[in-house]
Amino acid sequence: MAYPYVSDREVRILSKYFGDPKQRRIDTYVKRGGYGGLKKALGMAPGEVVDTVKASGLRGRGGAGFPTGVKWSFMPKDTGRPHYLICNADESEPGTFKDRELIRWDPHQLIEGCLIGAHAIGAQHVYIYCRGEFFETTQVLAKALEDAYAKGYVGEDILGSGIKIDITVHLGAGAYICGEETGLMNSLEGRRGQPRVKPPFPAAVGAFGMPSTINNVETLSIIPHIVTNGGDWYRQWGTEKSPGTKLFCVSGHVNKPGNYELPLGFPLIDLIEDVCGGMRGGKALKAVIPGGSSVPIINAEEARACSLDYEGCVAVGTMLGCASVIVMDETTEIVKQVRRMVDFYAHESCGQCTPCREGSAWTAKMMRRIEEGRGTEDDLDTLMEVTQQMVGTTICVLSDSVAAPVQSSINKFRDEYLALIRRGERVGAA
Amino acid sequence: MSDVPFKNPGWAGNTGEFHLTEEQVRGKDFVGERPKHAGHASGSATMPYMLPEKNPDAKLFEGDYQERFEKILSRYPTKQAALLPALGLAQELRGYVSPESMDRIAELLDLSPAYVRGVATFYTMYNKRPVGRYLVQVCTNISCNLCGADEVRDTFLSQTDTELGETSTDGNFTVIEAECLAGCGFPTCVQINSEYFENVTPDEVPKILEHLKRRGGS
Repeated sequence: MAYPYVSDREVRILSKYFGDPKQRRIDTYVKRGGYGGLKKALGMAPGEVVDTVKASGLRGRGGAGFPTGVKWSFMPKDTGRPHYLICNADESEPGTFKDRELIRWDPHQLIEGCLIGAHAIGAQHVYIYCRGEFFETTQVLAKALEDAYAKGYVGEDILGSGIKIDITVHLGAGAYICGEETGLMNSLEGRRGQPRVKPPFPAAVGAFGMPSTINNVETLSIIPHIVTNGGDWYRQWGTEKSPGTKLFCVSGHVNKPGNYELPLGFPLIDLIEDVCGGMRGGKALKAVIPGGSSVPIINAEEARACSLDYEGCVAVGTMLGCASVIVMDETTEIVKQVRRMVDFYAHESCGQCTPCREGSAWTAKMMRRIEEGRGTEDDLDTLMEVTQQMVGTTICVLSDSVAAPVQSSINKFRDEYLALIRRGERVGAA
Repeated sequence: MSDVPFKNPGWAGNTGEFHLTEEQVRGKDFVGERPKHAGHASGSATMPYMLPEKNPDAKLFEGDYQERFEKILSRYPTKQAALLPALGLAQELRGYVSPESMDRIAELLDLSPAYVRGVATFYTMYNKRPVGRYLVQVCTNISCNLCGADEVRDTFLSQTDTELGETSTDGNFTVIEAECLAGCGFPTCVQINSEYFENVTPDEVPKILEHLKRRGGS
């Protein structure tokens, strides 16, 4: 198969059937072993399922990397109140395009993961919160879900176990902030998607005031495989602290952009030069953002030393985030791209906290002024000062995400800013 | 149906080719096909489309739409939670969320009109004023931008003879910039009504526009 591009260095578990439309049909999915994990999980006590996931060391794939099994174990037991599992499919981080692929190529894998997750935390209802732009993607998911209901995998008395789990697909309406877990819950409840103050954490007071757990699409999609094969099986890939495989979304100036499933700890430079077929047009590498636009930019030298796991990225001063590798070659205008990222955050700030609302708007104005050649050298100091006050001072981390590209780009590509400010020269412009 | 090469590998199944015809893209047995007006309450009912033909005076939540609205209500523990899907349905019918639609929804869900207005204006996908038959959303975020999204956007604007956010004089096109459409590996990603067009280059823009005009109101 040649789903847009594949590499023989991949370990394809999640993405095994990417590129095969037959996988969307429930009969094919079942024939290929689908819903086997669900059958096994229903025969286990919820606590056993949680323990299996804990043993696998799986870490949340939405960006924060929190261990999934531990998160599930926070859910209270025997409360007599409804519990909710929410699947976060509000994928909108610039650079990330894995959840859409997971849903549109293998919707049943996600449904099965949701059902196992719901069983583990004692939830009776799962909400899959998809971003509003996913019209086509959710058509595939809705069709798969209807088939799953018809075959008795979802709904009342699943496979004769007496367990009832419903799944509802919910569409957002175009707000990046709804990808933040408590913002998402507010949005699900029909409110503005503004994040909530924590604590209380969702496991205590989540959606509709009830105990809730929220997991990313990729996290839930791997669950059936872990339950089927056991926690130790998953640990054969990756590193001690970051076990397993992960989808890497590579975009930007490479020959073969796309989703690649690789063991965690994979060297970043191999991903670019080998798996993705090298830089487009043979140009030199200038900078990489390894985890989506919210994490600090690294330069070519740091990229060569970077291994793609949670700890390896921290070691070179950035984060793995949701593993959205954005590759930039020597022709990239860093100032322009940072300005575009800041514009994004200024647009998406929910306006709840002052440092973020004001900070993102003013940062965007200053960045535009510099890009248009009207900046001063003092602006760089002001930018550093303003963004410094945006870190750790707000309810959610959107504000920190504005600071990351601005601060890291000024630190690492100061020459480019200065060339624009002093001489109006666009470094890197073709 | 069309000779425009769609560059959307996701819908045709994997042929390893980016150039596909619309028939290959959607096909007759497209597995995602769903009934437009109902379907199972777990999914279909809650999902709005963006239709080319809009009727600003359409009655809200009658007939099939009434059925969909009730299915939506049945999926949530509170009435308020139906607000986002309900606004989506109103937009599907009328093309935008007018103050009258918001007031009607507030009434149906026992919410205050001011609250509904507050929520509707928070989300960018609810059009607060009428848009053209085709709403063209060009992603200009970093990954697409690195691969020339600005030129694609400018070509859409010059070909439709509009400014960002305005509707062309024939009422066909409104071009806006979108914030990341999650198609970063297939730049430039453009969403037109409910469809994604991927790997769009400036040369293809005229062909896409011509195709949309010819397709009419389907």
